[in-house]
Amino acid sequence: MQRSAFQIFFQTGAWTVIAFLVLPLLVVLPISFTDTSYIGLPKEGLSLQHYVNYFTDPKWLGATWTSVWIGVVVATCATVLGTAFAIGCWFLSDRASSIARWVLITPILVPPVVQSLGFYRFWVVLGLIDTHVGVILAHTLLALPYVSISVFAALTNLDRNIPRAARSLGASVMQTVWAVVVPAAKPGIATGFIFAFIVSFDEIVGVLFITVRRVSTLPKMIWEGIQDNIDPTIAAVATVLVVITLVATAIGVMRKK
Amino acid sequence: MTDTTDFEAKRDIAEIAVERYKQGRLTRRGFVAAMGALGVLPALGSKAHAQAKEIIVVNWGGAAKDVLQEVLCDTYTAETGIPVIVDGSGPSAGKIRAMVESGAVVWDLCDSGAGSAIILEQQGMTQPIDYSIVDKSKVLEGTAYKNGVGNYVYSYVLATNPKMLGGNVPQTWEDVWNVKDFPGMRTFRKSVRGQLECATMAQGVPLNEVYEALGTQDGINAAIAKFRELRENIIVWGSGSDSQNLFLQEEVAIGNIWSTRAHLLKDQMDKDAFNVSFNGGVIAPGIWVVPKGNPAGTEETMKFIAHGQKPELQVKWLEMIGSGPVNPEAAELVPAELAPYNPSSPENLATQILYNDEWYAKNQIAAEELYVDALIN
Amino acid sequence: MPRINEKVSYWMLVAPALAIMVIFYIVPVLGIWKIAFTEPETGVANFVAMAGSNAVKTSFIITFRVAAITTIGCLILGYIVAYAISNFASKFTPLMVALVILPFWVSVLIRSFSWIVLLGRSGIVNDTLKGAGLIDAPLRLMHNETGVLIAMIHVMLPFAILPMLTNMRGISGAYVQAARSLGASEWTAFRQVYFPQTMPGVMSGALLVFVLSLGFFVTPALLGGGRVLMISEYITYQIQEFLNWGLGSALSVALLIATALVLLIAARFVNLRSALLERK
Repeated sequence: MQRSAFQIFFQTGAWTVIAFLVLPLLVVLPISFTDTSYIGLPKEGLSLQHYVNYFTDPKWLGATWTSVWIGVVVATCATVLGTAFAIGCWFLSDRASSIARWVLITPILVPPVVQSLGFYRFWVVLGLIDTHVGVILAHTLLALPYVSISVFAALTNLDRNIPRAARSLGASVMQTVWAVVVPAAKPGIATGFIFAFIVSFDEIVGVLFITVRRVSTLPKMIWEGIQDNIDPTIAAVATVLVVITLVATAIGVMRKK
Repeated sequence: MTDTTDFEAKRDIAEIAVERYKQGRLTRRGFVAAMGALGVLPALGSKAHAQAKEIIVVNWGGAAKDVLQEVLCDTYTAETGIPVIVDGSGPSAGKIRAMVESGAVVWDLCDSGAGSAIILEQQGMTQPIDYSIVDKSKVLEGTAYKNGVGNYVYSYVLATNPKMLGGNVPQTWEDVWNVKDFPGMRTFRKSVRGQLECATMAQGVPLNEVYEALGTQDGINAAIAKFRELRENIIVWGSGSDSQNLFLQEEVAIGNIWSTRAHLLKDQMDKDAFNVSFNGGVIAPGIWVVPKGNPAGTEETMKFIAHGQKPELQVKWLEMIGSGPVNPEAAELVPAELAPYNPSSPENLATQILYNDEWYAKNQIAAEELYVDALIN
Repeated sequence: MPRINEKVSYWMLVAPALAIMVIFYIVPVLGIWKIAFTEPETGVANFVAMAGSNAVKTSFIITFRVAAITTIGCLILGYIVAYAISNFASKFTPLMVALVILPFWVSVLIRSFSWIVLLGRSGIVNDTLKGAGLIDAPLRLMHNETGVLIAMIHVMLPFAILPMLTNMRGISGAYVQAARSLGASEWTAFRQVYFPQTMPGVMSGALLVFVLSLGFFVTPALLGGGRVLMISEYITYQIQEFLNWGLGSALSVALLIATALVLLIAARFVNLRSALLERK
């Protein structure tokens, strides 16, 4: 079929925009192999020095590890709390629960700097400044909306008659939730967990406000690196993260096929 | 009166040391001061009952802590046998006050600034400097206060990249404002500190009349107007390392930056790509203060301050992290290749003015507001 | 009464997350309001100072301008992508969707860093253009609003594409076909039949991008060169540089109110429920 100008416009346009979305993520790759000590394309040859620096520097590795384990803890907490929340709201489906759901997504709407000010002042009072607990708590709050939204979305496909039937057959509320609703919500729970992990793993503004020196996360190292001395180690770190993302996405696409 | 101490500058010096030695980085700027402002007391542990024969010196941390330890403290211990320990937790005026008021003073000597020194003196939190032990002639004129005395200096200087400018380098602030003959981006600090002075000089006001001119609202407005005029050519630096990056990445050709950062840049950039001029610079001192009721006692602490006035130690300090000797005698001992980067060399002193803390206490807040507006509007 | 009993047990599921959110999030954010009215002294002095400040006014204008241009840019670019994905099915469609979502998983910091590398004076874009002989002097792409906008659109684009995609996928092709069979040109059918049906998706995308852009901090702070001072950066500046919690909090309150107003106004055009609460 002959393609019209209309179609050509949208198709080439779409690929151009997608190139604009994706290509900038890849510039970190050549930079990371630069043989210079500053940000730039390789001059005389490729070098692995910035990767060596990343993988041997205890500060970078420590921050990476901190981000990973905090991310897992946050994702777990947020998933448990958020799933229970969404299931409860799904059962209730009344005005009050709808308001509760709005309350839970406020972190999406409040500007990061504003909420971080709030955290800072409150965490000072609670003695949570510069502690892992403080970061985990803040990140859990920021991740909760995503879990609750994705679990709730998964439940919209669940027929309300099924849990009703389970109840009439004598199952308790908790048994029903556990045996009927949770399995139905599983895809949403998994998505929520991943979202929660990413929210925590990438979060920067809150960390800048509520940590000082004892807690250092990967985003904070990158932020300080960009602000203080732009050194190509950041490009190596970024490349590692981008490659992990690419691989994960590729696996995702394959599995869908 | 507001506290005008430039904690950022102090922390920056600490940071430079960090970079110099690649021993990790300093805490995020601002938050230490914020903690101090909130009156968060440092944990008062066993040191609350420190031995009298031990001196605790407090600065802003990082590896500047190590340099201070090595250059001033260890040498003192070697001479006298008295242990001197550096605490890098940041002696903000708020913390010093909280400590003195609570009666649990653990610090003997604090690396503060003129603004804090004046406030702390007014609040009765610090002790007078004993000028029979500390030699007044061994500090720059204007840095000997009743309750505080200069310990080192740094400057706001005119840095340029001759390579980017095609060899045609601005010599004065007037030149910096001449975009036609000196094209390229400039960088100025995000705050008015050390910046309004140069905008005033750019109007042809002689060095010694700068603060006089800035003493009137018209003078301030005129300086602000100069920034408004230049703003399309301005990139703002927030931290010292920011300013350093802008030069390293060749984002700017001209800038008003700290001499301590220039000290680093001269080693990092090609010889023909970096130049510093102290012409029209603004020189600012760090100030020692002694909290009331310090555990080591007044005399011991004064002796230590006097020890730190030794020219050879101050030169070492310059060599290591670029902060200039406050003792005029030290200038002669500075190696020839470092002399151009020494804020307090006689040649450089002659072309600079001393940072005026009283002016900042009175005008800074209002001026900052106008400055931001001029840059973004 | 088993029904009430049952309700209680459902609320027990809801309660932990809700309680944590209220105690550790809502209360601290409301605390900002208190600071705005009480520090350094009780009263509205902070708001008076804010209202009288030209810098604040300008910063708000910049914030809204950047958010508006970002939104428009994202809508135009995003629409093209969403349209192509939902209307030209091919074996590449899953790949296109994956590539649209991909940047979501890469942190904003890294994306901003990439733009710093690309847009700098001696960045890759300038070097390439210079190498190709297209320009003599480097273009000023960074440390100004241009740089901020490019990077902001890049960051926000997926937020615009996804709601539009969801919406377009639900649109039946029958109407456009009917219009075409009645003699409408491809372009007319698109404009008069298809486009109006996509408005809900466009509006949700617009709302999401605009609200997120209003409070954005990282990208403008890194690429703005201090001169694209959006409110969020202004707040941190007040607090970090001057420890001025009062004014910083007052600005935060103003930003919160501005965001709320945008949502209120948007509620007239957008189904907030489906745009925010039931977003997929």
